[in-house]
Amino acid sequence: MTAPSQRSGSQGLRTQWRRAWSARRSGADALSPALRLRLEREFGDISYLRRVGTRPPLREYFTELWDRRHFVWAGARGEAVTRYSNERLGVAWYVLRPLLDAAFYWVIFGIVLQLSRGMENFIAFILIGVFMFQLSSRAITSGVSLIRSSKAMIRAFAFPRAALAVSMILRDFLSSLPAIAVMFVMIMAIPPHEAPNVAWSLFPIVLVLQLALSLGFALFFGWLGALMPDLAQAMSFVSRLLMYASAVIFPIERFLDDPAVLAIVQANPIYIVLDMYRSVLISGAVPPAEQWISLSIWSLATLAVGFILFWRDEERYGRE
Amino acid sequence: MAANEVAPGWRLSDDPKVTIAAEDVRLRYTVNRSTGGSWWRRGSRKAVTGPVLRGVTMAAREGEMVGLVGLNGSGKSSLLRVLAGLQPATSGTVVASAQPQLLGVSAALVPELSGEENIWLGTLAMGMTPDDAYFAKERIEELAGLGDAIKQPMNTYSSGMGARLRFAISVAADPEILMIDEALSTGDASFAERSKEAMQGLIARAGTVFLVSHAAKTIEDMCTRAIWLDAGTLIADGPADEVANMYRYYAHSIALGKHDAAKKALERATAAHPPALSHT
Repeated sequence: MTAPSQRSGSQGLRTQWRRAWSARRSGADALSPALRLRLEREFGDISYLRRVGTRPPLREYFTELWDRRHFVWAGARGEAVTRYSNERLGVAWYVLRPLLDAAFYWVIFGIVLQLSRGMENFIAFILIGVFMFQLSSRAITSGVSLIRSSKAMIRAFAFPRAALAVSMILRDFLSSLPAIAVMFVMIMAIPPHEAPNVAWSLFPIVLVLQLALSLGFALFFGWLGALMPDLAQAMSFVSRLLMYASAVIFPIERFLDDPAVLAIVQANPIYIVLDMYRSVLISGAVPPAEQWISLSIWSLATLAVGFILFWRDEERYGRE
Repeated sequence: MAANEVAPGWRLSDDPKVTIAAEDVRLRYTVNRSTGGSWWRRGSRKAVTGPVLRGVTMAAREGEMVGLVGLNGSGKSSLLRVLAGLQPATSGTVVASAQPQLLGVSAALVPELSGEENIWLGTLAMGMTPDDAYFAKERIEELAGLGDAIKQPMNTYSSGMGARLRFAISVAADPEILMIDEALSTGDASFAERSKEAMQGLIARAGTVFLVSHAAKTIEDMCTRAIWLDAGTLIADGPADEVANMYRYYAHSIALGKHDAAKKALERATAAHPPALSHT
């Protein structure tokens, strides 16, 4: 038996599992007194037993999640690289797909419908909208099927399931990096050329807020999708609705007369995100403070609510 | 690593501790009703199936290799899923000394990724550091014995190959409680020997292994103790060879249509090896 080497490698894992396990609800008092007495009489102390199928407390859940950081990273990187492995053009599709989308919307809305009238840089408007919107919309659409599509992993290994959502967001971010780079190049290359300026340095900050928002969405819709699998069918509709309500391809505020509807659209976090990107990149202006505040509140609140809901149902995700 | 660096609880002691205990576990599955009722109500109303588990009370200790025998649909797999915490029981309690690791029959983990990458993801998912995972990888590949196929995407694997790989990954994590649901029945003879050795290693390190099989022979060969389940009820609980033998006779009687003989076999088994904790 290869015991010695096996032990040294996995020693840490058992310690880690013991620690994680001991944070769960005590199990011995969950047994009936008669059985408990009998087990204690026959086999000695049983106070170390814990209830199976209960979620860890929130703090321990974070610790376990942190222990899985390598898993999160490996999952994100692996899938980002292999996503288009069946296609001949391979990773080029990361750039080609949003490019084709942008070209399509530019032809329809810019040339055919002439919605670009009076806009200083409609191409940049569409590019930023299409490229940055998919980061949020993918979080929602693939969040709904998160649990179902990871069923095999969930059944095979015990790990905090929120790691799947984090991994997914990280993967989407990694795979959209080439697209973001192309977006910058095109904004600068296509007339009227936007030149890099100080305001552009705010871009990463908005991006971080958007990623936090996306993670919140992924957790929330992951939880909702596990509760109601039918939701996956409605997702294409939801993402289309979001696309128009977030001014992805044309400035929707021009077509809304009702102030109430306009207020709703302008409170939509994805609209705020895209509007902030555009102020920063096209106008070279610092977005107004109320946008910063409302986006931060949106991000933190979605993240907190999504996380708590997701964690509360942790033990349900493995069932048939 | 020297033996004295090993924490004392992780070696099999003279007085084995309880690793898992279940009390009065009952289970009914809830399914969406697909027929009957008005169409606008269909799907929203829940219907429950008949009882799958009817009050199972049992306990297992360190160093035990417990076989579960029973006909198809007797509740073996359901019991394992409840014990592992993947399926919440309708009523009853399950307590354990560690998170049980269940090895089911589903073939692939991440089907698009190669065997190697699945090893990497699986070991990290269980909480290994990249260093540990790197060293574990070699052992896993050796135990799985898939040769060059380890570099192929996992959706090209046969069910036997997938099961071997997943078994190897699970064992590498050194779980305290391992549950195997028919997963090894698809493996060939060479793998059977290696997997047996690996499981005995786990048991020597104060683990408990549960093995589901409807082949009495497998239980006889591998296990120290057998639990016989019929229609969600414990029939017998005792030494593996005796229980497996009685079960074999019972299954044979059923196959021949001798239902009276089968019924008597059940009663005899319960009389000979009564489930220890059922009547507390």
